[in-house]
Amino acid sequence: MDVAEEGRRQRLAAWARKGVEVPSAAGTLVAGALALGLVILGPLAVITAHGFIPYERIVDGIFSGATLTVVMAGIAAGAGAAAVGFAIFGRMPTKRAREQTIAGAVLGIQAAILGSVFLVFRTAGDPERFAFHFLNFEKLEGYGGAFVNGAKNTIFLAFIGEAGGVILGLILAILVLSKRRVVRAPARTYINFFRGTPLIWQLSVFYFGLALGFRLPLSTFQTAMLVFALNTGAYAAEVFRAGIQSIERGQMEAARSLGMSYLQSMRFAIVPQAVRRVIPPLMNEFVILIKDTSLIIVLGLAESEFDLFTLARTGYAETFNATFFVAAAVGYLVVTLPLIRLVNMVERRLRSGLVSVV
Amino acid sequence: MSPEPIVRLEGIHKWFGTLHVLRGVDLEVLPKEVLVVIGPSGSGKSTLLRTINMLEEPTEGKVWFEEKELTDVRTNLDEARTHIGMVFQSFNLFPHMTAVRNITVALERVLKLSDGEAQERARRELRHVGLEHKADEYPSRLSGGQQQRVAIARALAMRPQVMLFDEVTSALDPELIQEVLDVMKALAEEGMTMVVVTHEMGFAREVGTRLIFIDGGMILEEGKPRTVFKDPKEDRTKQFLARIL
Repeated sequence: MDVAEEGRRQRLAAWARKGVEVPSAAGTLVAGALALGLVILGPLAVITAHGFIPYERIVDGIFSGATLTVVMAGIAAGAGAAAVGFAIFGRMPTKRAREQTIAGAVLGIQAAILGSVFLVFRTAGDPERFAFHFLNFEKLEGYGGAFVNGAKNTIFLAFIGEAGGVILGLILAILVLSKRRVVRAPARTYINFFRGTPLIWQLSVFYFGLALGFRLPLSTFQTAMLVFALNTGAYAAEVFRAGIQSIERGQMEAARSLGMSYLQSMRFAIVPQAVRRVIPPLMNEFVILIKDTSLIIVLGLAESEFDLFTLARTGYAETFNATFFVAAAVGYLVVTLPLIRLVNMVERRLRSGLVSVV
Repeated sequence: MSPEPIVRLEGIHKWFGTLHVLRGVDLEVLPKEVLVVIGPSGSGKSTLLRTINMLEEPTEGKVWFEEKELTDVRTNLDEARTHIGMVFQSFNLFPHMTAVRNITVALERVLKLSDGEAQERARRELRHVGLEHKADEYPSRLSGGQQQRVAIARALAMRPQVMLFDEVTSALDPELIQEVLDVMKALAEEGMTMVVVTHEMGFAREVGTRLIFIDGGMILEEGKPRTVFKDPKEDRTKQFLARIL
């Protein structure tokens, strides 16, 4: 056999072990990824080199020639990857090569779109004003401690609301599943009321209704905690109800046939199984509640009680600068993103079978 | 004089909406009897079994367990059910509890046994069905046959006066059926009173002391299993047996 031919085959085999079965496919993938990298990381790198504070530096970065060059290069590479990828993916001999080609083309399209949007923003938009209003990080100076405190209050409110809501929700769910209408009706009324009226309405009215009308010695902040728990209770009740109803009927029958009462059967056989199933939806409720705590802005709060959003809104009012909202978004995401990941993880584990999470 | 029946059903009717599932059933179960219930699917045999421990409330008629009338609303059904063991087609073990916990939970919460007594009794019952070594496994780690034997042990641990078996081998792979039937046969030989809804005709013939054939919600034929199998009197019984034997 030809020595050169043998060498070529060995080289190809070595590449294939690394995932490169067809060079043109791998090339398309690399080009697409490179294009997206250029479009996203390029301007970021240039701006970082210029600096973020004061905001004029960011503007300089956006308008610098280097930024224009990397973005144009990214768009070109992206368009190229897309054109080549869609032209050749049908002819790829292996599944892996085909997927690489398609991925490269899609990444290329994303790069071209993002790059174009940036170019439009740079030429037709007003980066100067945008940066002044949204990326004016100078204005945040002195608010760092307040943001940490705001995040703390946000998490605290959501946590108390969720904890109270879960307990209340389980009780309501058991009441609403009663076969007796007189037991069901009040629980159903409660749930429908709290699900049927806006949270912002409940917050507004309960402060006056409870604190003033009933003369309960509750501060606005305490009222908010209570309302979040009452509101979450209604939603958690529906989650628990669905969870309990999803347990096979045979479980209740087995428990009853052993002489357990209805409530004993619920407590030992049904609810422990239902709780496992409702953990993901309850965690989702928690994520929603974290964001909904922002509604306490309608109540008059002391400065130390500010949540993230109230703080941002106050900072905005004081400085007439929207960078505070950007900072608040970062604050919410720092809390919610890990939680969302956790929910997905727990869901996967539960779906994969027997593992107990609790 | 014949002994007092453990279970007595009198004029049982059951409607599910407009569906008339049981149409006037009278039945007595005597001590130490192994009563086998056969019949086509949808004939009402499972419903009949489930009325004995009132998992199905009869629309009409009376159910007695020993001297207690279960259909009397004043009767404490929870207490009565502790004397009536039941085993289900789909096992219905509690999946979040180990085998032994499946048994002890009712011993502790219903019979109020101490933790030690319950453990001891549960492990004895598991040994009884040959599964002592699986005591600490979760049901998902057991085969269908093993799960069903745990379910039998769980019911037996309550020391019931009568055991109800509702097609307990129907959900099992063929090679797992025998181990469950063996346990039931041993139980019958120990003198347990049993009502067995089944499609296992070999078991019915060998272990059953009396057989009833149900179709259309009524008891159509009754007698010694061997007699009925060899010489069925009713046409419906003949047709049914011809189809399955």
